[in-house]
Amino acid sequence: MPVDFDSRPRAVAGRAPDVFDPKGGFVPMRSYDEDEAVDFVIVGTGAGGGTLAARLAELGFSVVAFDAGPFFRPLLDFASDETAQNSLYWTDKRVCDGENPIKMGGNNSGKAVGGSTVHFAMVSLRFRPEWFKSRSALGYGADWPLDWREMWHYYTVAERALAIAGPVHYPWGPKRPRYPYRAHEINAAGRLLAQGCEALGYRWAETPLATVSAPRGKSPPCVYRGFCRFGCSTNAKQSALTVWIPRALKAGAEIRDLAMVGRIEVDDQGLARGVHYVREGKWRFQRARHVVISAYAIETPRLLLNSATDRFPQGLANSSGLVGRNLMTQSNQAAWGRMEDQVRWYKGPPSLTITEHWNYEDRGKDFFGGYCWMGQGPMPIEWVSVQTGARGLWGERLRTEMMDYNHQIGVKMVGEMLPDEANRVTLDSDTDQYGLPIPRITYRWGDNDKRLIKHALDQMMMSLDSVGATKLFRQEDDTNHLAGTARMGFTPETSVVDADCRSWDIPNLWICDGSVFPTTGGVNPALTIQAIALRTADRIKALAIRGEL
Amino acid sequence: MQEGSCQDNGSHTRDHAAPEGGAGSSVPDAPMSAELAPAARAPLYAARDLNRCSGLLALSVLLDSSVEHYRGNFHNKAMYTPLSVSTLSLAASVHGVTGRRPLGHKTRLAVFALAIVTGVAGTLFHVYDIIRKPGGFSWQNLFYSAPLGAPSALTVAGLTGFFAERVRRGQTQVFGQDAARLAAITSAVAMVGTTAEAGLLHFRGAFHNPFMFLPVAMPPIAAGFLAYAGITTPRTAYPFTRRLLTATSLMGLAGTAFHVYGVSRAMGGWRNWQQNMVDGPPIPAPPSFSALAFAGIAALRLLGAKAPNGPERLGATKTGATGAVPRA
Repeated sequence: MPVDFDSRPRAVAGRAPDVFDPKGGFVPMRSYDEDEAVDFVIVGTGAGGGTLAARLAELGFSVVAFDAGPFFRPLLDFASDETAQNSLYWTDKRVCDGENPIKMGGNNSGKAVGGSTVHFAMVSLRFRPEWFKSRSALGYGADWPLDWREMWHYYTVAERALAIAGPVHYPWGPKRPRYPYRAHEINAAGRLLAQGCEALGYRWAETPLATVSAPRGKSPPCVYRGFCRFGCSTNAKQSALTVWIPRALKAGAEIRDLAMVGRIEVDDQGLARGVHYVREGKWRFQRARHVVISAYAIETPRLLLNSATDRFPQGLANSSGLVGRNLMTQSNQAAWGRMEDQVRWYKGPPSLTITEHWNYEDRGKDFFGGYCWMGQGPMPIEWVSVQTGARGLWGERLRTEMMDYNHQIGVKMVGEMLPDEANRVTLDSDTDQYGLPIPRITYRWGDNDKRLIKHALDQMMMSLDSVGATKLFRQEDDTNHLAGTARMGFTPETSVVDADCRSWDIPNLWICDGSVFPTTGGVNPALTIQAIALRTADRIKALAIRGEL
Repeated sequence: MQEGSCQDNGSHTRDHAAPEGGAGSSVPDAPMSAELAPAARAPLYAARDLNRCSGLLALSVLLDSSVEHYRGNFHNKAMYTPLSVSTLSLAASVHGVTGRRPLGHKTRLAVFALAIVTGVAGTLFHVYDIIRKPGGFSWQNLFYSAPLGAPSALTVAGLTGFFAERVRRGQTQVFGQDAARLAAITSAVAMVGTTAEAGLLHFRGAFHNPFMFLPVAMPPIAAGFLAYAGITTPRTAYPFTRRLLTATSLMGLAGTAFHVYGVSRAMGGWRNWQQNMVDGPPIPAPPSFSALAFAGIAALRLLGAKAPNGPERLGATKTGATGAVPRA
């Protein structure tokens, strides 16, 4: 049930909420007229759109960024209450089908200014360099039109912007600069992961996290409250809401919250003219010279498909027929167990330690792709849902098991699923509250995906077993982050956008979010999305200077 | 350092008549004649200076270990030890500072010896706490396990007190070494050690404030000059080194102010002091730089007294001054 936190937009009349003000103050915001063709309209303000809004505004472009969700004030709005925090997710009506339907919600969506970075687990990992050439270097998926060395540079820029707290030395992959902030103190759950890795002979590390371990500007250091996969009520979390949006506002961008973009208008020349959006119950139109869609892997293709015209009957940017196709999620299976001693896994960020062993080790695999696993610390209601879902517990047995909450440990994977054209987003005949056709999300795990999951579950169970955990069980059904559906590539026939995230078909239409991933890798995608957005902003500037915009 | 000289002189004479402590000592007693008194008081003053340092260090340890071990929930009963021993050291130091007798004191000596031993034992405990965790001697464990360098502050407090006891009795040798030189070198080494500790913790804080570089940059320079003074021929005065040490001591005090500010930057600031004083930057830590700088200044004074016209630096009359400070 979609609940808008506040039915009235907050970013209006030349001011936007000051996310750092505990008294509910505002910061000034530049406002653009709807008839004024702004340089860039950005649809979505998460990892892709938020980053791009800040950078484009800082590079001197006029920017209006839309988000369908509310503009939260973390210090005032975010309660330490799992149920209340459901309002952060995109829970609008959708149809999920296929052999392995994706469960939409907290793991893979966000509906707020800042997008899903408002509630993301802050895990900020780089891709393994070879993944940018998965097809030619590793033999699966598709190559990216991006060079890993260039991405290494933008990863560094993103890590600095987010003051990532990470280990002094990261044990996998090519050399990277030191993380701006030091890693957080690891909790008992993180230590047990480390012990398990040491028993198996694998390296482990503190997980690079986007929550500060020392003061930074108006962000206080993390207080290890543990409500990390929800809104962070202290602003220690470096989300798009606390990092990119304030930068965007300061640089002169306008943010329109509670503004759902329903259609991109294309003129007779086949160029985007602007966007139709609904705000405060009224459909409106914003003119723009360029339109960027950063609405993530479901809403991005949905918007492109919903914007079909006579000239583009299959939807915008879809001459390849690939819009909506190659949807990927990531396998998010887990192994759980019980320790004799108390663990109290809810203390601090949930994923304080990680092993990327199977992302970088190719020997001994009967599958393509990689995966990592991280420590876990689910809140009580989430833990109940694991017990009822994965184990089917109910009643007295459930109650008894929940008494062990303080003793529980677990590790959860983020695994690469391979792109498959049959996994896709299409339009359903049903409509949502805005009167727009809703997306139909069709998904099926491939054989390779299943082999990877089995391998990972066996490994994770061994790791728990090696630290003396008892009452082990597997959670076999979970998935999380999304990618694909508007892949970037080398040619208009085989991809939707080029390396600059510019659509092949409509030169002033851009797509900049996880949708452009040709493959998804075995790590959380947020940092890669932000690195791509940083690169796109620089490319746009370069193209503008050359008169090629 | 000229206050109450008559009184001092009197008590000195009296003490000499009925000597206390220092049993088994073969140290020549300080001269008694009145005209030599100011120079003779030099060791006493130096000792009291050293006691100020040992006391300040002990206070720093007391406050710091109270907060940190409270944070660690005193999960091991041994964690009370530094609290009691630093309290005793503080008391012994206060006793030394206020005492006007130029003679050793058995109880004080015992307390300082205990502090030395406790500091060493504490270091071993802290090493154990680090190596028992996954990763062993890793940055993670150095950052967040028991701080490796902290217990040695108690050892240094004990050593400084110990030197004070020796110097007070006019003894110029400690552990077979020249006391003045040893005091200078000990302060210098301790200052470098404290710098390492500050460096580690400020690195943990990612040097997020540029001022965090100061306690890493300045004390080693001061320590270098101090150590140089400790190994070269004593001079009458060390104006530059003294200025550096004074600056270091002021930096220690400024550090406290910065840490007070640091606490205010944590979630809830000072309104949430019960949490933020514990988890924020340690307010009692920076003054240990001040204490060590004071110890260094005291050592300089001792070294100055060893120079040919040293006692002049100490404000003594020239007459017989050079002979006043016993030389080993």
